Amino acid sequence: MRILLVEDEAPLRETLAARLKRDGFAVDAAQDGEEGIYLGREVPFDLAIIDLGLPKMSGMDLVKALREAGQRYPILILTARGSWQDKVEGLKHGADDYLVKPFHVEELLARINALVRRASGWSKPILACGMIKLDTTAQTVTVEGKLVDLTSYEYKVLEYLMLHAGELVSKADLTEHIYQQDFDRDSNVLEVFIGRLRRKLDPEGTLKPIETVRGRGYRFAIPRTDGDDE
Amino acid sequence: MDADTALPSRAPTATTNNPVPPRQPLSLAARAAIAAGFVLAGFLGLVGLTLSQANRNRALSALQERLQNDAIAYITNFDVSRYGKLLPPDNSPDPNFSRPGSGLYAIALGDDGYRWESSSAIGRDFTFVSPLPPGERRFVGPVDTRMGRLYYFSYGVALDTVEKKSVRLTVMVAQTEDQLEGDNLAYRRQLEVWLSILGVMLIVLQFLLLRWSLTPLRKVASDMTRVERGESDHLDSQYPLELTGLTERINVFIDNEREQRKRYRHTLADLAHSLKTPLAVIRSQIESPGVDDASRRSGVLDQVRRMDELVAYQLSRAATSGRQTFASAVPIAGHAEDLVQSLEKVYAAKNVLCEFEIDEHAVFYGEQGDLLELMGNLLENAFKWAGHRVLLVAKERPSSTKHRAGLWLSVEDDGPGIAADKIEKVLQRGVRGDERVQGHGIGLSIVQDIVHAYKGELVVDRSPEFGGARFSVTVEHT
Repeated sequence: MRILLVEDEAPLRETLAARLKRDGFAVDAAQDGEEGIYLGREVPFDLAIIDLGLPKMSGMDLVKALREAGQRYPILILTARGSWQDKVEGLKHGADDYLVKPFHVEELLARINALVRRASGWSKPILACGMIKLDTTAQTVTVEGKLVDLTSYEYKVLEYLMLHAGELVSKADLTEHIYQQDFDRDSNVLEVFIGRLRRKLDPEGTLKPIETVRGRGYRFAIPRTDGDDE
Repeated sequence: MDADTALPSRAPTATTNNPVPPRQPLSLAARAAIAAGFVLAGFLGLVGLTLSQANRNRALSALQERLQNDAIAYITNFDVSRYGKLLPPDNSPDPNFSRPGSGLYAIALGDDGYRWESSSAIGRDFTFVSPLPPGERRFVGPVDTRMGRLYYFSYGVALDTVEKKSVRLTVMVAQTEDQLEGDNLAYRRQLEVWLSILGVMLIVLQFLLLRWSLTPLRKVASDMTRVERGESDHLDSQYPLELTGLTERINVFIDNEREQRKRYRHTLADLAHSLKTPLAVIRSQIESPGVDDASRRSGVLDQVRRMDELVAYQLSRAATSGRQTFASAVPIAGHAEDLVQSLEKVYAAKNVLCEFEIDEHAVFYGEQGDLLELMGNLLENAFKWAGHRVLLVAKERPSSTKHRAGLWLSVEDDGPGIAADKIEKVLQRGVRGDERVQGHGIGLSIVQDIVHAYKGELVVDRSPEFGGARFSVTVEHT
């Protein structure tokens, strides 16, 4: 999951970026609106976190500009002034959610998860594809009700694939959205993760949840069961 | 908002020592003085012109009459001899006719080249005079001659001799213009002097009148200065009718500003006091021995969260204006729609259906920000607790006694609602923010503060339709 973080206050930006990376997000941090708009247009993000009070270009203008540039990913705005006037204006201009400063990082993570999920068409916090269920809140995965032990990178890869269940996800996409820019893209780490995931989710080889589309990427093959069965 | 900016600007006298004084419009007194000065100058000038013209005309006709009289006097003095010969007059009607160069001349012309001149006219060139047929008279002037500009009156008669023979005679009496103009000039001088005196008197009078009629304005300015210095609470003198509308409103402004300042002061004090408790707790937790790091950490985090909420609450409280006096009408419908669209976005996962029942005449007289906070917090509460439905109702409350209709606003949901015995607890207005009921967020406290600031009423009961909670706010607009 690749996140754009635009925040001018360095301590907050660095702590947030570090925390998000620790939770398995790929983070591009910008310190002002202009850097934000440059990155926001160039990189295929899954979500943007934008502070409203930014130097050079206000957060409100940045949100507007990103939407005008055709970027569809969810945007979460951070505001120090919790007035409804600010919230309404931000949401009107294309933001999807807001968080009033100061906030708990857990709250931010929960909002990020909910926004990303909603953006990929999942309305419930538990992504269910047949026997495989991924709880985005608890960040756990169960197969036939049994908990599967995954590393955080493995979890992120699976989450990304399941969020886009049924869709083709290219290797480049997956790499871009999961790892930082400095990651060595030529290595076969991704193949290793996919292999491990397949073994952990489907030790008997009966479900075949992740199929390889030769030369193009991967697809989570089990259809969504987006019912009220939680 | 800075407290100073809320006060009307200082009296003009206080701003003259500004390094770059902004171009000030002319004072009322200067405007009146300039206008009156021009009008007066024009008026007096016209009066002077008219009077001196009239005087000139009168002098001219007086001159004509005098010259005519002199001519007739000469004619009667002329005699005709038995042989039809003209005998020159033995005396003159005016001694000036005998003084050479006096400017008053008489010429008589008879038949056969007869010519007589008064002593004053001897040696002067009067060739331009021609005899007139009997009975004809002529007043001419001014005529340029060698003697200067002249007015003359000539009269042609026929004198009868004893032998019933008629002798023709033309008498011409002339006067130089100098005399006429001299008279005129003296008159004009006098006129100018008197008109100037009159003008000065009028200007002084008008200045005094203006001072007198502008006194109340100066009084307002000096009262305002006293209010600024804190020597007085209000503009409390008696003012003329034209100014009371202004002074009363200024007084309302002063009251509002004072109220606002009081609120800031209280908010600041409340904030400082309410922060002391969590700070004390943090300190004791850090200092107390025998507490493990994990529980110390969570204790401190708890207090930080509490301080967060206190700051947020007090900030929004300070921002509440509660001002109605000069507030314009804020329509409910548009803002409600914006808020609900925002909330639907944020609570998209809940699939909440929000219905409106908004009277198109329903308006809120106050700050737009206050309305947004009021509705936003109530609606967010409802979205948070609702199962799937929220209803927002806004109605006009007609008032017979006041010129502005009141407002009824209610938000209800199909959530669990609030038990009757809990309602009082929920609404318990903490004297300070840190004393309010936990678990209801700061939203409701903010709502209560706004309702209180607008002297309205907040009622919590059960939604008759949905079964959840219903929050209704009534505001009487004053």
